[in-house]
Amino acid sequence: MPDLQIARAELEEVLGPDGVIADPLGLRLYARDASMVEGAAGLIAFPTDVSQVVTCLQVAARHGLDVVPRGSGTGLAGGATPIGDALVIVTSKMTRILEVRPEDRLAWVEPGLFNLDLSAALLPTGFAFAPDPSSQQVSSIGGNVSTNAGGPHCLALGVTSAHIRAVDLALPDGRIERVGSEGPAASGYDLRGVVVGSEGTLGVVTAVCVRLTPIPPTVRTMLLDFDTVEDCAETVSAIIARGVVPSALEMMDRGIVQAVERFAHAGYPTEAAAVLLVEVDGLAEGVEAQSAEIEAAAREHEVGTIRIATDEIERQLLWKGRKSAFGAIAQIAPHYHLHDTVVPRTKLAEILTGIYAIAARHHLIVTNVFHAGDGNLHPLFSFDRRVPGTLERVLAAADEVVRLSLDAGGALSGEHGIGLEKRDFMSLAFSADDLAAQACVREAFDPAGRMNPQKVLPSGARCGEFAAAALARAGDRAEELPAKELPEGTWI
Amino acid sequence: MDLIHPHSADAVATALSEASRDGARVLLVGGRTQMGRGNPAEVDAELWTTLLDRVIAYEPDEMIAVAEAGVRVGELRRVLAEGGQEWPVDADDEATVGGVVAAGADSVRQLGVGLLRDTVVEVEAATGDGRRIRSGARVVKNVTGFDLHRLLTGSLGTLACLTQIAVKVRPLPRATCTLVTTEGGLELGRRLLDEVQGLVSVLAEPDHVRLRLEGWPREVEAQTAAVKAIAAAEVDDGPFPPPVFPQAAVVVEAGVVPSKLPDLLDGAGGFRALMGVGTAWVPFDDPDGLTLFRARATDLGGVAPAVRGPGGLGEAPVAAVDVQRRVKAAFDPAGILAPGRGWTT
Repeated sequence: MPDLQIARAELEEVLGPDGVIADPLGLRLYARDASMVEGAAGLIAFPTDVSQVVTCLQVAARHGLDVVPRGSGTGLAGGATPIGDALVIVTSKMTRILEVRPEDRLAWVEPGLFNLDLSAALLPTGFAFAPDPSSQQVSSIGGNVSTNAGGPHCLALGVTSAHIRAVDLALPDGRIERVGSEGPAASGYDLRGVVVGSEGTLGVVTAVCVRLTPIPPTVRTMLLDFDTVEDCAETVSAIIARGVVPSALEMMDRGIVQAVERFAHAGYPTEAAAVLLVEVDGLAEGVEAQSAEIEAAAREHEVGTIRIATDEIERQLLWKGRKSAFGAIAQIAPHYHLHDTVVPRTKLAEILTGIYAIAARHHLIVTNVFHAGDGNLHPLFSFDRRVPGTLERVLAAADEVVRLSLDAGGALSGEHGIGLEKRDFMSLAFSADDLAAQACVREAFDPAGRMNPQKVLPSGARCGEFAAAALARAGDRAEELPAKELPEGTWI
Repeated sequence: MDLIHPHSADAVATALSEASRDGARVLLVGGRTQMGRGNPAEVDAELWTTLLDRVIAYEPDEMIAVAEAGVRVGELRRVLAEGGQEWPVDADDEATVGGVVAAGADSVRQLGVGLLRDTVVEVEAATGDGRRIRSGARVVKNVTGFDLHRLLTGSLGTLACLTQIAVKVRPLPRATCTLVTTEGGLELGRRLLDEVQGLVSVLAEPDHVRLRLEGWPREVEAQTAAVKAIAAAEVDDGPFPPPVFPQAAVVVEAGVVPSKLPDLLDGAGGFRALMGVGTAWVPFDDPDGLTLFRARATDLGGVAPAVRGPGGLGEAPVAAVDVQRRVKAAFDPAGILAPGRGWTT
């Protein structure tokens, strides 16, 4: 057993008493993220700079502690939920913008910086960091990197990975390595591409070099309403079929519109079956042309009204409705379970019908607010956990949603990640060899298996004997590690 | 030199499994258009992917195309154009889809169309020891598991043989225009980049700047006017991008941050620089010039691999070299895939 008391003393010596939490209440607070999974932590550390992160990793290595990196804890898949005696390294005190270089279209920031704070700081430069997850007021750049976060504006510009030039990564042994490069080309394999989205399993992100994208000169935001969910969903494909890729293309069904409208008072049409929030940007001439195509596509599908935001205040109000959806649904029931699968865009209408049927079968309330342009669904099951048997029904319904999406040729997660919540679904999406190959990459970064163990890959997914032999040839000691199972008491 | 010319992904896997068993070194070959990328590798056999030539799936509404690795880029271009779309790469028609992904070359239009690596959404591959693996999914957005397809993109055929690739495609622009200014230089290039919004490519050469305008017709008209307000320019109807220094025996594709381009190219006779990105192509006819240029690129924090002729990748520090070696060892345990071709050995 790791000696937590000694580890704590060693951490406090460098981080100070305020930099470490070890009391039962504090440990409990950090025993979960924004998912439904509750774990347990051994120690919580709050480094303020890179050297303190290194100290944390060295202490963990010395005492054989597992390490769980954590940003703001807004993750929805349990990626930051600690298990057992893990040391949780929280980056929330590392919030500096280190440098902004518009000419090089990059900025270096510390991992704990909030996404929205970076946007605000960049505004005067005329550039932006494109990913805008709905949690952007409180989610950190390091967390965005770890989950390869998305957001409404990733349709045209791509998810976080497309906007990360380089990452300074503290490996489990405390070494700092820069993966990727500031410039257009790096030497070696694209480790950056694997680190982004690795959910804290490869190391601790200590600094991030983000790509800056010019802020478009003209933006137009439109709200379209429809009498049927089918017409709304089919309009999404019709827009794409016309050769228009809007910067955002979001769909909300009646249940969510009604909840949002009571909260945001944005003038959303509460009688419509579903609405589309569409944004196009670029040069004024291009925005005009795209808007005309979108209107034409919508008219082919019986659109009701088309509301165009007349100024920035109205535009922000429309977006407030969309981005406050997950808060607004607290009016429906005290708890919600949110899924994040992706389906081929042309199957949206069919899959939504399937989701409503699943909810009806399990006597659950479901509302939908999602990135329709990407085919990235977010069905929200609202429920009261205190009612016996409800949670079981929610999880059964969620299981069916995942299978429905995968059967349609989709993916397990579009932007929230796998973490603990979805890791046991991984073998539905990948073969044993696929998972073994993924495990090889993980073990290449973390041969001792102490970085955020038990996340992402199902237990049993190991690099395998073939690779172990290869590692031995490559000069590493191929250790036989025991397969890790979730300990008793981990609550999902 | 043996030739392996498999007709299926299974046959690729079998051939690699046998080669691993026998310790036979293999160079993976597509359309032979990017053979100058990577270090020279001494091999016992070439594996040609060109019989894997089927376009597996393409639905324009999904903006995704799935092709076997040996499909020629020209063939994919033709199929996608029928759907009003394109896979935005600069490769020649004879290049293969797998070769383009393995070479990892980004388009000179990347300010408008993004990076190659972000178009690759799913790959199927056979590892050096013949295990068939798949990574990603045929959807435009996906964070399921570790992104092996990103690792394979640009890996120069040293980790696995790509057998099938799903790429994200985009609508063909309604209007395009190439403008060439009558004067050149980095300073003018930078000014055009900064002052004309939405240009998808600004290629500065010593005596002219080549600009690519794409979008809706009125958008391109507006950009054309904006360019001409800054510099005299003529429309060029030739292919874009034009071949890079077709007469030069050796061409280097250097990469530095954009603000370092003037330092990198100071004194260079010929160059083509991608403004706002930091990529610069420079021709060489003597090895000493190449060595000096590379040293300068390294000093400026960049790299300068050759893309044509002998020259290889050059020396540059490689991050997390032990991690890279373990990755290589896991995917190609017998070390048969193009030994020495990549950045790490």
